[in-house]
Amino acid sequence: MTSQTLSPETGTGGAAPRPSSDPATGPSKNTPRRALKSLGTVLLCLGVLVFVLPFVFTVLTSLRTAADVARSPLGIPHTFTLKNFSDAFSQIHYGRSALNTLLITGLSCLSITVLGSLASYPLARITQGWSTWVYRLFIVGTSVPVFVVVAPLYLLMRDLNLLDNYAGVVFVYTAMFLPVAVFFYTSFIRSIPTDLEEAAALDGCGALRTFFTIILPLLRPITSTLLTFVSLQVWNDLIVPLVFLQDPDKRTVMVNAYSFIDPHTVQPTTLFPAALLGVLPLFLIFVFLQRHVVAGMSAGAVKS
Amino acid sequence: MIHRRRATMAAFLLPAIAVYAVFMLYPLGRGIYLSMTDSLGGPIAHFVGTEQYRAMADDPDVTAALWHTIVYAAVVVIVQNGLGLLFASMLFRRPQVRKTLSVTLLTPTLVSPVMAAFIWSYLFAPDGGINALLGLLGLDSLEHVWLGDTSTALYAVAAVNIWMFAGYSCAIFLAGYMNLPTELLDAAAVDGANGWRRFRSIEWPMLAPALTVNVTLSLIGSLKVFEFPLVLTNGGPAGSTETLTTLVYRNVFGGGKFALGIAISVLLLVTVVVLSSATSSLLRLRERRI
Repeated sequence: MTSQTLSPETGTGGAAPRPSSDPATGPSKNTPRRALKSLGTVLLCLGVLVFVLPFVFTVLTSLRTAADVARSPLGIPHTFTLKNFSDAFSQIHYGRSALNTLLITGLSCLSITVLGSLASYPLARITQGWSTWVYRLFIVGTSVPVFVVVAPLYLLMRDLNLLDNYAGVVFVYTAMFLPVAVFFYTSFIRSIPTDLEEAAALDGCGALRTFFTIILPLLRPITSTLLTFVSLQVWNDLIVPLVFLQDPDKRTVMVNAYSFIDPHTVQPTTLFPAALLGVLPLFLIFVFLQRHVVAGMSAGAVKS
Repeated sequence: MIHRRRATMAAFLLPAIAVYAVFMLYPLGRGIYLSMTDSLGGPIAHFVGTEQYRAMADDPDVTAALWHTIVYAAVVVIVQNGLGLLFASMLFRRPQVRKTLSVTLLTPTLVSPVMAAFIWSYLFAPDGGINALLGLLGLDSLEHVWLGDTSTALYAVAAVNIWMFAGYSCAIFLAGYMNLPTELLDAAAVDGANGWRRFRSIEWPMLAPALTVNVTLSLIGSLKVFEFPLVLTNGGPAGSTETLTTLVYRNVFGGGKFALGIAISVLLLVTVVVLSSATSSLLRLRERRI
């Protein structure tokens, strides 16, 4: 796996082999084909529109007054208001819960990347029976749903006094995502030639220094990919904070939104701003990191 | 010197192994043990062997949830990847709109499942967006209480899952498309192979690795779905959207049937491992044949 294959965009704008001017087909054959193709483009745009319509609708509705929405759910908005947002803001204790989520996501990302990259270096470079065995043990974790361990983890956290403790949640996320991190990093490090490290070893550079001066800087692209993946998962997760954080002051955005808002009785003018507030911070960050997001989400998808 | 280097390197593994062993492997082992006890979550637990599993097999709720989970996964895997492939092949043929539209398709992926469920619970409501849209189009006869009818609820929940991740499938297929050798496509174009022919005999077989990844990921993801049924229907109506995960949650943290809940979670693990490894090895075999 190389960084290049991680991004579906690498080929964009470049030499895309589109036969818009097939040398083999004459103009008479080309015209209906071209018409068909533009029709396809229109249909494609409509299809994509259907996918984003719920969003547009969500944004528009959250800016309208409740009375206006009740009159016509799909109608043209007459008045706009930000009051829905401020209501939702206080209703899901947004300020506090967003900070909690940020803290948990940040710490989890840090510990997953640090422990994951450190562990992957020996796993990629030591080719002995035991290291393959350890690697396999980590990979097993990628197919264990969190629901399988959630009950025994709850007992463990209770015994360790880690319930209602950020550290407990961060430990759970670290254990959950280490398999993914190890998988990403190990295959990435394997694709790095060993020449530099051997030269460093001859110069008397120890393993620790080799890792920090040679390997770590090379890991930057795969780290950003991994961070995208992990931060999305952790920020958006419901089950782990729902089970392990019961103190209202420590809850995350998702838990507060889930426990304070019943979608079946609550009006869309409260529901939608709450939904938007929940995704807003990540959304803003990812608008700036768009390229990495796309790469991160299709990471590992294509082997070359 | 090399020897000492190796030892230092091996020490890098220790922190990761420690966290992984304590918070993943140990709970996993303890869970499998607890599923063979009558534990209520407290300090007292007696070993009862396979009793929980026998109770599970006789429990109509569990068999129903297993069935719902499998139907849900089948619908999501087929429709989501079908849509993703359709979008990817159309986008690949249109480089001028490719990037904009593929990024647009990914926006639902950035929403959390809870928030997506919030949005769609209103769209599916009796007086919500979908029915209003149908009314607007003059299709009043199709209006429906989507989440309140046992025959449609599970599919409505699956639709939200598909909406959220079809763009993701599309991105993976597009990445596969970008790896196709251009010479081959050019040669086919010169030979006069039309769109469908090119897709059938070149793109489809060469997209095999992307298909494997897509099917495996969506299968695992949909088998462990939790937030969608929880928020949209809470397992209802009449248990028609109860999946293995919601049943685990309900039994472990609400029902007082702690050990049974853990046994169901072991059933979930077996389902995920068996189905996903069978599917991915079948698809890998197919890759090699092509």
